[in-house]
Amino acid sequence: MTATKSAPPTGDNRPTVDPITASVIQGALESIAIEMGYKLMRMAYSSIIRESEDFGAAIVDIKCRQLCESKQSTPLQSGPIPGYIKGILRTFEARGETIAPGDVIMHNDPYGGSSHGPDVLFAVPVFHKDKLEGFAATTAHHLDIGALSPGSCGIVDAMDVYAEGLQFKAIKVYDKGVKNDMVWHMLRDNIRASHLVVDDMEAQIAAARIGAERYLELIERYSIETVNGAADALMDASERMMRNAIEKIPDGVYKATGHIDGYENSDNPKEKNLPIVVTVTVEGSDITVDLAGTADQIDLPINMPFEGTVDVAIWLTVRSILVDTATFGHVPQNSGLTRPIKILAPKGSLANPNFPAPVIARFAPGCMIADTLMRALSQAVPKQISAGIGNLKVIAFSGLANGQHWVHMEIFEGAYGGRSGMDGMDAVDTLYANTRNNPIEDIETHLPLRVDRYELRENAVPAGKWRGGIGAIREFAFEDSGGYSVEGEGHLFKPWGFQGGHEGEPADLQINPAGGEPYYLPSKLPYRAANTGDKFIAVGPCGGGYGDPLERDPEKVLDDVLDGYIDADVANADYGVVLTAAMEVDLAATARTRKERSAA
Amino acid sequence: MQLVGVDVGGTFTDIVLTDTDRNLTVIHKVPTTPDDPSKGVMQGIYELCERNDLDLSGIDHVMHGTTIATNAVLENKGARTGMVTTKGYRDILHIGRHQRPQHYSIMQEIPWQNRPLIKRRHRKTVTERIAARGEVLAPLDEEEVRVAARELKKEGVESIAVCFLFSYIGPSHEDRAAEIVREEYPEAFVTTSSSVTPQFREFERFTTAAMNAFVGPKVRTYVTNLEKSLKDGGLKADLHIMGSNGGVATAGLVADRPVLTLLSGPAAGVLGGAWCGEVAGRDKLITFDVGGTSADIGIVTDGRFGEATARDTWIAGFPLMVPMIDIHTIGAGGGSIAWRDAGGTFRVGPRSAGSEPGPAAYGRGGNFPTVTDANVVLGRLSKDNFLGGEMSLDEEAATRVITDFAKELDLGVHDCAEGILTILNANMANAIRSRTVQKGIDPRDYVLVAFGGAGPLHGVAVAAEMGIREILIPPFPGITSAVGLLTTDHKYDAIRTEFQVQGDVDVARLNRDFESMEKSLSVQLSDEGVSDADVRYERSGDLRYLGQGYELRVEFLGGAINDAAIETAWEQFHAAHLKDYGHNYPDTPIEIVNIRVTGIGVAQKISTPSMATTERSQDLALVKTDSSHFRVNGTLEPFETAYYLRDNLPLDEDIVGPAIILQMDTTTVVPPGATARADQTGNLFIRIGDAT
Repeated sequence: MTATKSAPPTGDNRPTVDPITASVIQGALESIAIEMGYKLMRMAYSSIIRESEDFGAAIVDIKCRQLCESKQSTPLQSGPIPGYIKGILRTFEARGETIAPGDVIMHNDPYGGSSHGPDVLFAVPVFHKDKLEGFAATTAHHLDIGALSPGSCGIVDAMDVYAEGLQFKAIKVYDKGVKNDMVWHMLRDNIRASHLVVDDMEAQIAAARIGAERYLELIERYSIETVNGAADALMDASERMMRNAIEKIPDGVYKATGHIDGYENSDNPKEKNLPIVVTVTVEGSDITVDLAGTADQIDLPINMPFEGTVDVAIWLTVRSILVDTATFGHVPQNSGLTRPIKILAPKGSLANPNFPAPVIARFAPGCMIADTLMRALSQAVPKQISAGIGNLKVIAFSGLANGQHWVHMEIFEGAYGGRSGMDGMDAVDTLYANTRNNPIEDIETHLPLRVDRYELRENAVPAGKWRGGIGAIREFAFEDSGGYSVEGEGHLFKPWGFQGGHEGEPADLQINPAGGEPYYLPSKLPYRAANTGDKFIAVGPCGGGYGDPLERDPEKVLDDVLDGYIDADVANADYGVVLTAAMEVDLAATARTRKERSAA
Repeated sequence: MQLVGVDVGGTFTDIVLTDTDRNLTVIHKVPTTPDDPSKGVMQGIYELCERNDLDLSGIDHVMHGTTIATNAVLENKGARTGMVTTKGYRDILHIGRHQRPQHYSIMQEIPWQNRPLIKRRHRKTVTERIAARGEVLAPLDEEEVRVAARELKKEGVESIAVCFLFSYIGPSHEDRAAEIVREEYPEAFVTTSSSVTPQFREFERFTTAAMNAFVGPKVRTYVTNLEKSLKDGGLKADLHIMGSNGGVATAGLVADRPVLTLLSGPAAGVLGGAWCGEVAGRDKLITFDVGGTSADIGIVTDGRFGEATARDTWIAGFPLMVPMIDIHTIGAGGGSIAWRDAGGTFRVGPRSAGSEPGPAAYGRGGNFPTVTDANVVLGRLSKDNFLGGEMSLDEEAATRVITDFAKELDLGVHDCAEGILTILNANMANAIRSRTVQKGIDPRDYVLVAFGGAGPLHGVAVAAEMGIREILIPPFPGITSAVGLLTTDHKYDAIRTEFQVQGDVDVARLNRDFESMEKSLSVQLSDEGVSDADVRYERSGDLRYLGQGYELRVEFLGGAINDAAIETAWEQFHAAHLKDYGHNYPDTPIEIVNIRVTGIGVAQKISTPSMATTERSQDLALVKTDSSHFRVNGTLEPFETAYYLRDNLPLDEDIVGPAIILQMDTTTVVPPGATARADQTGNLFIRIGDAT
């Protein structure tokens, strides 16, 4: 049995608005989403929203099409918004309830469009002449949602969605403009660090209300027919853009397999070394991405919601490769771009789990779907991809200070693989995640934590004509007692090299307990207590190399030596580049060495 | 007193001289000399004095706007720069905030990785560490600093940034390390992150310091040369340089902290626009400075400018933490190119034809349809009267490119041309909205001051889009920046990070800090020769709700701060939060993140112009009548339109649109339904709707 996520019927309606008005309305919509995102981010309290920018903002029309998204937001937050709205509408319909002006609806159901429970959406319906015309909505990753242990990352031992925290299925937190105090009491009583979480929720509502107000102004200025007509035109244009790009890919079937660590220490073989299989079929201007062959769902929370995570991972990758901003310039994101992409995943697999399988830690596995899709597409468009990408990790640090919880979620970056004509991006957030780190000076001022080191790795550079991106080392120490949990990937498997490029370097995590010996931690670890002085050494992964290292410009190899990324021995061993004592390239010796190596 | 303002632009160097005693203002323009801009500056001053029979030695002050630092950054041609930083944190500049500039891109560039201000090989680490409250975790290893300095010298580094964690709260290690570096390598340009911008957030602060070091040697050489040329040329004037904060500083300070000038060009424009508004008695202004490639928008309320928040300031993709006027720049101007994106959507800009080859109408081989071409097709730019007739426009070429583009879109030629303007104007209106409506400001209470070569062409349409009813066109719209230089005060900023929380505020510390900041500013200003009587201080604080990551600016009154003053600050913050974001949290404690003082030394300014007694009348001013296209009540159609010379327009007499007003440096469009009127202050006012 297979769930099908098919594209809505292709647009190409006859345009009902002129291209000038369509362009003007598009600009206005974008500026609404930017304003929503700007305000949300500036009002927010928890660093996961304000510094990491793990939030989304969008306007969705009555057909649940995303019209625009805030460009500050993270793709994994804005992308799912139409799915959340669909989930809300389905829930209301099933319950026989209706939406009224003044309502504010809260939703986080991972089996109803949400990406996972901690990403809570607040939607404000937009009514024009008593008719519902769309929604302004914001999503954000909250610090805590009342799961079994503190934080909302690293809940890696939840057995089902109930253990993952509170579930909100289309809950009216404002009913016709009247605040539902009882819901808010419940939130405050069931969530850790609720003073931050609840204030962040209020910020989300304020930002969504502004969006709704602006959208209504737009409708009143141009008429609903014109705004909808412009939306049709925009969606069609976006779809056309994507189809044109797909048509340039040779028709065919492209397949790749990747693996995730899963639970390294599990006794159950079905819970570790899990395959992710991606088969891409390109036919004309259509792409089908089929995840058949991917591991079965498990009773631990690395299953991925089909709608909200899997779909976003795929859209993001296809778009980043085929409609790359570096080539196309700024292209507004909307639902039209995803129409030519059909996604299939077997029901009951990691990529399409059955309720109530747990999903809260779906984030790193989703990155592997994106990376494996890139690997499949590398066969078709080798000049538009990067080699294997190093996966991410989150550590949730927490503790009690003056009787109140503090929670800090730190996202540890990955790295991109080498690219055609460019080295990989070093130490960045990857694929559908694009958050920001927290300034060391902010962390240490406000939390009982110290960051003892933040640097790039040395002598761990995956060789290639275009080398892989280099991962970072970030060390944290507790200055008080507290606790931590870990949610990540990429400890066991190396990012793939491309066309002769070397494989990347996996990530690593060590704990150095106060007064003890350092030891290794797996990529998933449920909550544990920590003592003052306990120290974490998180080593980020390095992306795969692209192309034959023997073809790398010797001057670039010399640069890497001078910059301390590799030493002279590695320059010789990996690249066949011989350096003189004066640190110059010995061109003759290099040519000789390279010739010998390539003959071998 | 005689003041000279010199604004060096990409193509022209503009010079304005004002004699405050004789109430005389004269202007001059010479080509910019890119290899050594001081040559053009000197030549311009000579010529201006010669033509107006003025004595060079009579000039008291030269106010200078320069883009030397800006160009060094934009062209990535700075000094070979080195860094001394805390051991364990060598790559803060390289990792940044670990965020990719673009969400949806594999092939993107990361500015700080692909074109680093300081290469890793020149980033040396030394043992030292200050903790969050300023306490010393690890003492500075002075020997390691010496070794680092010697290595950098050997590596041929010319400029060095010393950047340590938490230096904003404890600068002692940075200061000592800088001292050692200077001992070891006295010729180097040395800067510390805490002296450039003592604010938290290490990546942004280190980058700002690195930027300062990167442009330092170049700016220092330029300023020294210019001072020498002025002196050798017989000038006795002091040289002052415009900063991004809207004030001028001494040449010496700028040579030390060139990063302060990085965005000074547009700042002078805002000041110039603000001054024109003030002269005309208007106190709420939106300055709208449109050139060939970009539009700069500033908001001036009761003589005060908005200041950009520290986290919204960028140059060449790098974040910058320096005080600057809040100016919103978008890629929209006369040269903006109209195009269809890969999905077929009609777009205008941000790509521009620039000045070479420029729009097709320039007849220099430009082949893309631009905004200027659209204006030509609609009859709003006159082929024989562009730039006072000095340049003739190629109407045929403009029509050809617009016609070709119109065919692609299946539109009529005039509809297409008007569409280009509509989209451009909507983009500009969105930019204005982001600084007004989105910040709780009603733009309808404001006057739009339109200048730059293309501002007056689009001012009325953009104003109409925003519901703004009055538009002001300054007397010399093309040299408003140079005029702005003569309206500045001496201005220095001090900032200190506090992290003090409501309920537990150390008032004594606040008072101590404010006083010591004012003291150090007072020294700087008296070095400038400003007497104490002419100095005032403006205090403010960057506040946020405890736990937030972004601050809002709140004013503090002068004098000793007491509990009541603090209470007022809290109330102001709650109000500002509500105004800016549409929401506030009355029950959440507030944190004072930074306190700031701006020391302002009031300077002599440009005199109020009075209109020369030229002969004026509508008949004299009328050049011709011709057909120009406008949309009225939904229909685009040709109108008989009068073309006037601005210099001969009668004062205080209504010119009813449609009309086109021509002058040397710009063209003003007065569409049907609008009325223009020239006044005694040299300004041209346009009203939309109810003509008075």
